[in-house]
Amino acid sequence: MRLELGKVLIKDMQFGNQTKVENGTLFINKEEMLNAISGDDRIKGIELDIAKPGEETRIMPVKDVIEPRVKVEGPGSIFPGVLGKADVVGSGKTNVLKGAAVVTTGKIVAFQEGIIDMSGIGADYTPFSKTCNLVVVCTPTDKLQQHEHEQAVRFIGLKAANYLGEAARNVVPDEVKVYETLPFAESLKQYPNLPRVAYVYMLQTQGLMHDTYVYGVDAKKIVPTIIYPTEVMDGAILSGNCVSACDKNPTFSHCNNPVIEDLYERHGKDYNFVGVIITNENVTLMDKERSSNWTAKLAEFLSLDAVIISEEGFGNPDTDLMMNCKKISDKGIKTVLITDEYAGRDGASQSLADADRSADAVVTGGNANEVIELPAMKKVIGYLEPADIIAGGFDGSLRPDGSILAELQVITGATSEIGFNKMSATTL
Amino acid sequence: MVKEIERAGLPVVHICTIVPISLTVGANRIVPAVAIPYPLGNPTLSKEDEKKLRRGIVEKALKALQTEVTGQTVFEK
Repeated sequence: MRLELGKVLIKDMQFGNQTKVENGTLFINKEEMLNAISGDDRIKGIELDIAKPGEETRIMPVKDVIEPRVKVEGPGSIFPGVLGKADVVGSGKTNVLKGAAVVTTGKIVAFQEGIIDMSGIGADYTPFSKTCNLVVVCTPTDKLQQHEHEQAVRFIGLKAANYLGEAARNVVPDEVKVYETLPFAESLKQYPNLPRVAYVYMLQTQGLMHDTYVYGVDAKKIVPTIIYPTEVMDGAILSGNCVSACDKNPTFSHCNNPVIEDLYERHGKDYNFVGVIITNENVTLMDKERSSNWTAKLAEFLSLDAVIISEEGFGNPDTDLMMNCKKISDKGIKTVLITDEYAGRDGASQSLADADRSADAVVTGGNANEVIELPAMKKVIGYLEPADIIAGGFDGSLRPDGSILAELQVITGATSEIGFNKMSATTL
Repeated sequence: MVKEIERAGLPVVHICTIVPISLTVGANRIVPAVAIPYPLGNPTLSKEDEKKLRRGIVEKALKALQTEVTGQTVFEK
């Protein structure tokens, strides 16, 4: 499966008469866009705003961040099985508005939503302060149930991204990058002497609005399976997560998964990157046992030499991580884990809820309990009030002057467990 | 909490969904629970069946409390 990813570089975003890309600026016809994404009667109002890097703007509570993409050639459309048919995506050509993002916000759905600051110290901790953000503020109807609210906002965000993505359809990309994964038997012949490496991609699926979707299927209902890495770039996996902001994978991060990117970078040089095993993080022990049995079985089936395993979220998924690690290691396959830490505000506590001897190569995305002080911003898109109740906030987090004292947990993407940020640690 | 209460000389049964975490933490008597969002119940069952399930877990825990153990023990049945 071969995908050409065409990057249309976006340096600025403005509202205008026509939605189009011109000299690196994405112009958006506000009215047309509102028409394209409206229509859900569970939402009584949608407002659009723009937040650019360096502005004194705070967006909160953030639900999801999505990158605008469009399928230019090849089967299917972006977010298959959700906004389009369930065609297998990941081949042909896809254009992306690189530097632009859709951010969904509005009244809080659940307590685990995040903050994006476009400047100040908070901006350093989120990758989404570096993108030009089209912010979609959704106001739900009164008494709308939480899961309905979540679903409505999720779909509006995806539609918004696809609407903007269309602007990239007929633009000649500034850069083109080609990614290719051969069918398994051929890939073994292609690089017979390189170590066979796969990526075990754990998806947050604890339910109660901690959900991830694969081709529209709620991933808590899958057994682990194999997916071409390029399918992920076309939105095969998307977030429906109201889980702690710092270490959930927004849809944007799925489409740009750095583990996949880096494995491709070293494919044919250091490794033979044969593919991706997706698995879930469910809430019963039997589910955890079954899924980790299956990841180990698939790793064996693919005759792998090594895997990289990434977690999403924290707490009981630490056990899924350890089970995957132990069972895959027991097959004689090397493992490297990527996680983050909840080691207390002073960093002195145990970092994960579970541990195993086989977990001897671990990469961290940082300590989510670290306390951070976010200065007041001139402009707020959304609402400040949830600061006291979102995960990582506490009574008194929001101060009268609009500044916020809270744990890093509150910042969207701060301790990404797929490495979609810049924090980590090394052992001295 | 399990470990501190045992240190004070009282036996403890840890009813817990994710048994591996309980084993890692060092509980000695472990009774598996149903699921993380509903450890001691099951909203998909009828009220009658759920009561049976709940009583079963509590009785298992009481039995475990009275059982001598020589090391970490998971009471599956």
